[in-house]
Parts: sequence; structure tokens; C-alpha cells
Amino acid sequence: MLWYKSWLETRWRFLIGLGMLVCSAAALVLTYPQVVKLLPMVPTNLSGPIGERIREAAELSRSYRGYVWSHWFNQNLSQWSTLFAILLGTAALLVQSGGDLFTLSLPVSRARLLGVRAATGLAELFVIALIPSLLIPIVSPAIGERFGVGSAFLYGVCVFVATSVFFSIALLLSTVFSDAWRPLLITLAVAIGLGLIDQILHNPSFSLYGVMSGASYFRSGQVPWLGLLGSAAASMAFCYAAVVNIQRRDF
Amino acid sequence: MADRLIIETIELRKTYPGVEALRGLNLQVPAGSICGFLGRNGAGKTTTMKILLGMAHPTSGEARVFGLTADSVEIRRRTGFVSEEKDLYGYMTVAEMIRFTAAFFPKWRADLEKRYLRNFDLPPQRKIKALSRGMRTKLALLLALCRGAELLIVDEPTSGLDPAMTEDALQAMVAHVADENMTVFFSSHQIAEVEQIADRVAIIDRGKLVVAGALDEVRENFRRIQLVFDNDAPPAQFQAPGIARMHRKGRVITLMSSGDADSIVNEARALNPMSLEILPVTLKEIFLETVGAED
Repeated sequence: MLWYKSWLETRWRFLIGLGMLVCSAAALVLTYPQVVKLLPMVPTNLSGPIGERIREAAELSRSYRGYVWSHWFNQNLSQWSTLFAILLGTAALLVQSGGDLFTLSLPVSRARLLGVRAATGLAELFVIALIPSLLIPIVSPAIGERFGVGSAFLYGVCVFVATSVFFSIALLLSTVFSDAWRPLLITLAVAIGLGLIDQILHNPSFSLYGVMSGASYFRSGQVPWLGLLGSAAASMAFCYAAVVNIQRRDF
Repeated sequence: MADRLIIETIELRKTYPGVEALRGLNLQVPAGSICGFLGRNGAGKTTTMKILLGMAHPTSGEARVFGLTADSVEIRRRTGFVSEEKDLYGYMTVAEMIRFTAAFFPKWRADLEKRYLRNFDLPPQRKIKALSRGMRTKLALLLALCRGAELLIVDEPTSGLDPAMTEDALQAMVAHVADENMTVFFSSHQIAEVEQIADRVAIIDRGKLVVAGALDEVRENFRRIQLVFDNDAPPAQFQAPGIARMHRKGRVITLMSSGDADSIVNEARALNPMSLEILPVTLKEIFLETVGAED
């Protein structure tokens, strides 16, 4: 029944996220023919960092594989999954839904309470990262294109594993603070900060967003195993810290 | 059986930043008793209950329930709890909340569930957030009573209820306890409520137990001794033990004894008062005198 409770408390965040990303994925695929028509209109003499980005995006969009990766896995899915990972992570807050003392009066350990919350949130995050991604190979034939199911799955897994770090940070913070806003805002600040560092350093040797987008797999066919393992380890460490913290906390 | 302790705390202390909530609490609640836990706001009642249920950790000392240390999950399997806020899951319906809770308790009493749903007039399909405070209290009681628990811990069972709802809630609790032979530990500000249903009382003040025992014994032990003098009352220092409080005003000295009234009376007679009266006291007077004693 704890699973049922967790589902009831997180379902709207999950369903809104899933619905939005499914629509976004379908729209991205179906608008590709229009994008191809517009590509010749992109000026080639753009200069500066922004111009370079525009040229790079246009260049990637000349192939369907490049278009899907740059617009979906590298942008839309990464950004929105990060946001929903944080929202799902903060949903673990015990006091947020009310009835915290009632929950604590049940014959269940705090570790199990949090474990069920974390598992529910991670399962939802997995679906959010995977289902819209797997929709792309299914919808692509409608515009006469193909995208590999295996690639979509792999990119989806990269998004899931990397965003689980933000989920776990939010989970940990939700065991530290008694309100919903601080865990949300602090984790958002961490996510934005990491993004800014990526922009400033321009392709640093280790980048969480690089792992998230599966950039190495797209550019050279290398699965970012080290990044995935590092992200998973960081995520587990934050989850463990959350369990330790909730066990020592007074309500 | 009567002497078996269901709840026992030994020198229990709890310190929050800047606040000493419990200062060496020694509490004993025997099996089968209905113990009213009285104290002013902030006296440490809720903190004690939270520690007993493992919701807060003691700073030092021991808290035991059923002989188990207070953070044991087993205690919560055998205990029904109603918090002061009666906070339940607002997004669930009454029926969902009951189904959810029943899943954790193998001894869930489906017969009682049906009876209380009917008696409390609870609408199964209504969302909990749409229930009045009184209805929420009744639902919280139902969820605690149907667990098949051996111990019921209730924090302010009737706070925020109108008199009719209060009566309903108390009657339900008393009837259930009589039928099921369980132990009840409930906190309250309402002395009349404690007198109505409790057979034991424990009074806590600033984190320490100041009075504890069977209600009748407590009433029997406490006496008001009033001395009236011809002129202004003399300053007096009594040596006899058991003086809970002393007032001197004009021609009158009033003593509150918490036991051994005879020795106090003998000492008082030596002051040659014009009159000396020994009067029974109510629980309310005992409460007001004992919790105000250190003011």
C-alpha cells in the first residue's frame, strides 16, 4: 500500500511530464520535413559563439539522426527530464502531503518509507525518459525516416541515469528541509550551475549533461560507461545519505 | 497483570535547539489502565508521545513500550495513535484511507470498522480534505481503534471539537476500551475530560512529572489545609514533607498537601491558628497548584 500512496502523491507530476514529453517527441518528428525546407535559409556567414551554435545546429539537422539527437536528446528531453526529476525528487518530502505523523505511526521503518518513495520516483523518471524516446522510432516512418530503437533506448537510459542524480539530490534535500520550496530551488540552482559550467568550459572532460545526452555515443559510437557509472554511484550515495538523514531526524 | 508496565520512561530527556522539552521524565503506565496525561501547552506531552512512538529520538534516558525500546517497529504494530492535528491524507477518500491503513495491521478489526463507519456516520466516498474537523477526528479514531492494538496513544482527542462531538469521541473511546481491555494513554488540557474517562493521571510540567498515580489515590492524597489566625498570619516554614504549595495572605495560610496531611496538620497546630480546616481538592485544583508550583 505504500506504493499506492506514493503513486497517488506523485502521479500528477509524472503524468503531466509524460504527456508533455510524448507530445513534444511526436511534434519534433512530425515537424522535421518543415525544418529540412527551412535549412537553406540559415545564413552561413554567422560569427561569434551564438552564430557558431546556430551553424552547428543547422549542420546537425541536415541528417535525421543529427536532428533527433540535437533537438531531442541533447535539448528537450535533457532539460525537461531534469526538471521533472527534481519535481519527482521533492515529492518524496514526508511532510508535504500532510499526514506525516500518521505515516510515521505505521509499523514501517523510515528506511522503507523513503525507499518506496525513491523507487516510485525513479520508476516514473525511467518511464518519462524512455517512453517518449521510444516513440521516436515508432513515429519516424510516418515522415519516411528511420531511427534505431536500440539507439533511442540507449539515449533514454543515459537521460535516466544522469537525471537520477538531480532526483537524488532533491530527495536528500527533502529529508533535510520541511518545506517543498527549498529542495526544489536548491536542486534547480545546482542543475543550472552545472549547465553554466558546461557552457563556460565548453565540452569539459566530464559533464553530467554530456552523459545525459549521450554525446560520446552520438559523435563516436562510444557508450559513456564511466559517466553512467559515476552518475549511478553519485545517485546511490545521495539516496543513502537521504536514508541516513531521515532515520536520525525528529518529527 | 495489573502491575505489568506498558509504558515506562526512565530519566527521559529531550533537548531541541534552545529548548529543554523533557527534563528527566519518569513515567509508568500499567497495563489495562486509562491514563490521562495532563500539562500546559509546551509542557512536553506531545514530545513524550512522539518519543514513545519512535517519531523523535531521546537525547538521553530510556523510553520503553511493551518492554521494547521506543524506536521498535513492533511497538507501532501493537499501538493505535491519533495525533493532535488528526492529519490524514487529504487526497484519499474515507474508504481508501481505511483500506490503506488496514493493509498494515494483520489484526485489523473489520467488524469494528463497519460498526464505527455506521456509528460515526462517516461517508466512505468523501475525500478526507472535504471532511470537517470533527469527522476527521472520528475517522482518525476509527483508524486507531480498528488496528487490533493493545495500546492506544491519543494526543488531545477532543481539541477543536464542539461539545457534542467531544462526547461522541470520548464515548467511543471508553466503550472500545471496556470491550477490548486495552491500555490508553491520552494527553489533554481538559481536566473534566480526564476525570470523565481516566483511572490514572500523570501531570507533567516543564518536562518533569509532578503528579502521577491512580486518580482516586491522587484525589485522596491531596488536601487543602487552611489556617485562619486572629491577626496577620505568622511567617511559617513547614518541615513536614508533602507540601506542594503554600500561600500566606492576611490572616490566612493555605497549604496544599500532596501526602501525609497528618504531620502537616500537627505542625500547623503548633502555630495556634484560630481555625484549621482540611478540605478535599478537585483534580483541577491539583493541576493548577502543581503546574504553577515553580512560577
